Amino acid sequence: MQGHLAIEASGLVKSFDGKRAVDGIDLAVPEGSIYGILGPNGAGKTTTLRMLLGIIEPDAGRRVLLGRERPLEAARIVGYLPEERGLYPAMTTREAIAFMGALRGLPLEVGRKRAAILLEQNGLADYVDKPIKSLSKGMAQTIQLFGTIVHQPKLVVLDEPFSGLDAINQGRLEHLIRDEAAAGTTVIFSTHVIHHAERLCERVAIIAAGRIRFEGLVSEARDRLRPQVRLKARNADGSWRASLPAGARHAGDLWQFELPKGGIEPLLKALIDGGAGIEELSIERPGLHDAFVAIAGESAAREMEASEQADFGEAA
Amino acid sequence: MSLFEASWVIARRDFVASVFSKTFILFLLAPMILLGFAFFFSWMNDAQDATASQGRIAVVADGATAEALALARERLVRGTSEQSVPALHNVAPAEHVEVQARALLADENAGYSAVLSGTLDRPVLTGPTRADGYVARRLQLLVDDARRAEALRGANAAPAPVALERVVTEQAAGNLQMNRRAMAKAGQALVFTITMLLATLLLSTLVEEKTNKVIEVLAAAVPLDAVFLGKLIAMLGISLVGLALWGGSVALAYTFLQILQDWMALPTVSPAIGWAAWIVLLLLYFTMNFMLLGALFLGIGAQASNIREIQTISMPVTLLQLMVFLLAVSAVGQGSSPLAVTAYVVPFSSPMAMIAYGAQQEALWPHLLALVWQGLWVALIIRISSRLFRRTVLKSSASGSFFSLRFWRSQGAA
Repeated sequence: MQGHLAIEASGLVKSFDGKRAVDGIDLAVPEGSIYGILGPNGAGKTTTLRMLLGIIEPDAGRRVLLGRERPLEAARIVGYLPEERGLYPAMTTREAIAFMGALRGLPLEVGRKRAAILLEQNGLADYVDKPIKSLSKGMAQTIQLFGTIVHQPKLVVLDEPFSGLDAINQGRLEHLIRDEAAAGTTVIFSTHVIHHAERLCERVAIIAAGRIRFEGLVSEARDRLRPQVRLKARNADGSWRASLPAGARHAGDLWQFELPKGGIEPLLKALIDGGAGIEELSIERPGLHDAFVAIAGESAAREMEASEQADFGEAA
Repeated sequence: MSLFEASWVIARRDFVASVFSKTFILFLLAPMILLGFAFFFSWMNDAQDATASQGRIAVVADGATAEALALARERLVRGTSEQSVPALHNVAPAEHVEVQARALLADENAGYSAVLSGTLDRPVLTGPTRADGYVARRLQLLVDDARRAEALRGANAAPAPVALERVVTEQAAGNLQMNRRAMAKAGQALVFTITMLLATLLLSTLVEEKTNKVIEVLAAAVPLDAVFLGKLIAMLGISLVGLALWGGSVALAYTFLQILQDWMALPTVSPAIGWAAWIVLLLLYFTMNFMLLGALFLGIGAQASNIREIQTISMPVTLLQLMVFLLAVSAVGQGSSPLAVTAYVVPFSSPMAMIAYGAQQEALWPHLLALVWQGLWVALIIRISSRLFRRTVLKSSASGSFFSLRFWRSQGAA
């Protein structure tokens, strides 16, 4: 891996009530990247982020945050959006954002000015002096996100940032994450929704049951699987069937199998010679979801889907 | 950010949120209402028949005896107060005095508590009063005085009253000690009362952050020590605002209202270390007492996950305060006895015990030592509280509350 690391963690361990929640996690997050931590609920994502930020101390292991071994020493240049959103209900949006900035060392006056700008830039100028308690949940979440970035941190840590947001706000958040990264900020977020990670991240860590199952580029995760071939043949039977690879699956009128190591050309020739009568043939690169299933297993994937469904219900 | 910068951010938020809330007006009014009631009942008490506490005595005697008793009462009242001597009401004797006395005691409208009959040489007290009781002893005094006066008058030897020539001195050792002890106890009571009023507020301070889930935002940005210290500073600021307003109101009332001047006399004796130093120390020890108990209560309250748990722990906390107060009070006037030294050294009783020390002893250096000692304990309690909070509350687990059975089971299992 090239360049500096915004976060470097090795062998992080944390147990609660005698049960190991995080079991030897290693992470390397390059500066300026968008990094996703993928895993179902209860996989250890939040505990990992809390340990990285020093909210809880690991039982074992080491973490370095922006070059500091004690995370609070980097607090001025870190922004954090926890999974359980929290704001003081009586505060106005501007004061709430400025207060969160002040916690990170930003003078209140500067925070207030930046808060007004952030709200205006995002079409929320009318809400500057509205109390938090009068906002919708999604709007309050947006305010907290502004509070997370108002002090212009070098590292932004977001725990399940898309959770509870409707499609419009999810899109707005994706946009904001890209903008932050474009400005040189490192963004690390946890999610149980694969397509967010797939759209945004250069690198991901896949966590299941407190362990890292994969850590690296999204393309590397995909490349762990061979491209998938989908074939629709006019003739159901014939000698061409013998040329299909051993793991080929038949669903409806489609055959699906991994691209043979010898490439597509020998297979294509055998199919034509065997009289398959090719109607459709496509070669698809596997998505992150396929990679996740292959890496974390079917049950972890099902848990992810269940979490996603629950999330969708909440946002709706 | 330094610990103090971070504490200041937390303190400022809490202070503004509390002082500019509507409930703060109620907080300010609470002691005023209390004082108002105290004055009202005091006034009511004054306005009541002065005889109510002593009872009315029917004097069934001939005119000369009744007059001698009335004159004796007048003399005694002059030397004491109207309330100190039972009120006398003359009733002309009937044929059967014993029967008359019982009838008078049975008369609900008259409301007599006893009947004095007979002569000065053979007085008879009828009524449900004990021979060694309060009323009987005072009536005995009256009869004795009346008899003495009659005897002197008969011998033509009644001396004319003389006025005392007054030579006023600054102080006498005997009442200086007594007054300083009273002052010491008053200082302790003041600090204890205000801290007790604020105990529930301190216990529930962190519940807001836990309920609103702001605590994780705070914990990720600043040291938990700063969160605890900031909250304590804010609460101290709030209480000082309250004190300033209450104190100012009392001072204004004292200046402009006669009733308050009658009710509350300014002390003529000064504390051993002088008024200025004692008032400064009073403020400092109030601060330390508040910080010490506040840090403890904040730490305990931080473990509670809801208002119900706060209510449950309120009573033992109040008892703890009371025990500490009693220890401090019992050290007043004890010099350097083991009990007094214990009260000076035990961190929670130390501020109140040292207030008393300042009122009674001239030495200043022990105060410096005590303040440093108390400050160290504040830091230690904050550190322990924040560590415990981090260990039990800030984790991705449901068994976060220190007061939950699940927490203790898990500790046992671990």
